[in-house]
Amino acid sequence: MCELRKRGLATAVIVSDAFLRLGKTQARVFGVPDLPLLLIPHPLGGLSLEQVEGRAAHAIPQVLKLLKERAA
Amino acid sequence: MTNLAELLKTPGASLECEDDFDAVNELVRGRGWSDGLPVVPPTARRVEEMLAYCDRPWDEPVAKIAPRYGDATPLRLAANAVMAGCRPEYFPLLILVTEALCEEPFNLYGVQATTHLCAPLVIVNGPVAKELDINSGHNAFGPGWRANATIGRAIRLALVNIGGAIPALGDMSTFGAPSKYSYLAAENEAASPWEPLHVERGLPREASAVTVIGAECPHNVNDHESLTAEGILTTIAGTLIAVGANDIYYHQAQPLVVMGPEHAKTVADGGFSKADAKRFLHEHAQLPMRRFSNENIERRLRVTFKERLGAAGLDEPVPMVQRPESILIAVIGGAGKHSAVIHTFGATKPVTRALRLRDGRYAKSVADFRSQ
Repeated sequence: MCELRKRGLATAVIVSDAFLRLGKTQARVFGVPDLPLLLIPHPLGGLSLEQVEGRAAHAIPQVLKLLKERAA
Repeated sequence: MTNLAELLKTPGASLECEDDFDAVNELVRGRGWSDGLPVVPPTARRVEEMLAYCDRPWDEPVAKIAPRYGDATPLRLAANAVMAGCRPEYFPLLILVTEALCEEPFNLYGVQATTHLCAPLVIVNGPVAKELDINSGHNAFGPGWRANATIGRAIRLALVNIGGAIPALGDMSTFGAPSKYSYLAAENEAASPWEPLHVERGLPREASAVTVIGAECPHNVNDHESLTAEGILTTIAGTLIAVGANDIYYHQAQPLVVMGPEHAKTVADGGFSKADAKRFLHEHAQLPMRRFSNENIERRLRVTFKERLGAAGLDEPVPMVQRPESILIAVIGGAGKHSAVIHTFGATKPVTRALRLRDGRYAKSVADFRSQ
């Protein structure tokens, strides 16, 4: 993901909030501290299909915002 | 090898502190450079003594430790070895373990950052285990032995200080485990009726080696009654069965069976080779699918093993490990009718690495690494 970002593509990593610090650290380690991290509520395991759709609903507006910013 | 005074002039390579135990520990704790216990102050003199057992440039990384991917130079490793309380002659083993942990199949990133409670377990084989007085007998996984305690601790400190395995930051383990302080033992080769672990894994007996495993803590197998190989192995197989083990769900998983010498003797006296024992364990460490929760059956077992279990009935047996040869066996411990089952993180493979000199020859002794 970091490599794609370095190549100029619209890139983001979706992280659950409990893993935000790890995500930020990893982005820095791989040389792209500004890598967008799209936050969704923890957990990811043990979710029903409806809950998974709820997580997606959290992420989609953030993806759209990212793409619009890139286009602007 | 290298001039330490020159190396320490590199920005960030050293820092000054009052020459006082409490002051050093205050500084170390403040920077998060510890496992929580006090450390031995890594003075230039002590670090240099450690590096006397290093046959390579002190500032050349031997590996990068995930998840921070920090450069594990001999200089940094030596500082951590001093902090852990290692004797200088232990140092070649710390370098070797670091290299083994950073080989790709081990998946150190996963082992370090996972929510699972695994820690790298190190099994030491060969003549160097004896030379360094690494405990392989009573209480081998426990306290009371300097080599086991401090080499294991040095590994942890390197994983934290160089690799960034900081709780809730680079180490996301839900619980952690006491084995994260130190987890290292030698195989009790003298008490084993079989070929040692490193020989089974393709090395000559005279080589010294480490095998690293992304492991849970040992789970005891008490069997004071069985008089036959089949009896002992039935009890071990029954202890391997754990519906919450990661090993079930990963094709490459390789759990470790540690046999106490008395159990191993009973099994070998029954005519079982290691391969025979593994076949028996694999066959008997299985559970009908109905013993798993409905959600685990539908969302995991039927998906991960689609071909075999996708449409299978609830009486279909689910093996705890995919293949007999995936089970590792080592003989460790002292007297007593016990063995231990050690499950793993699952998404990791054990790595065995031999202690070699830079020209590729097997080291006969840690003295071969002395540079001065």
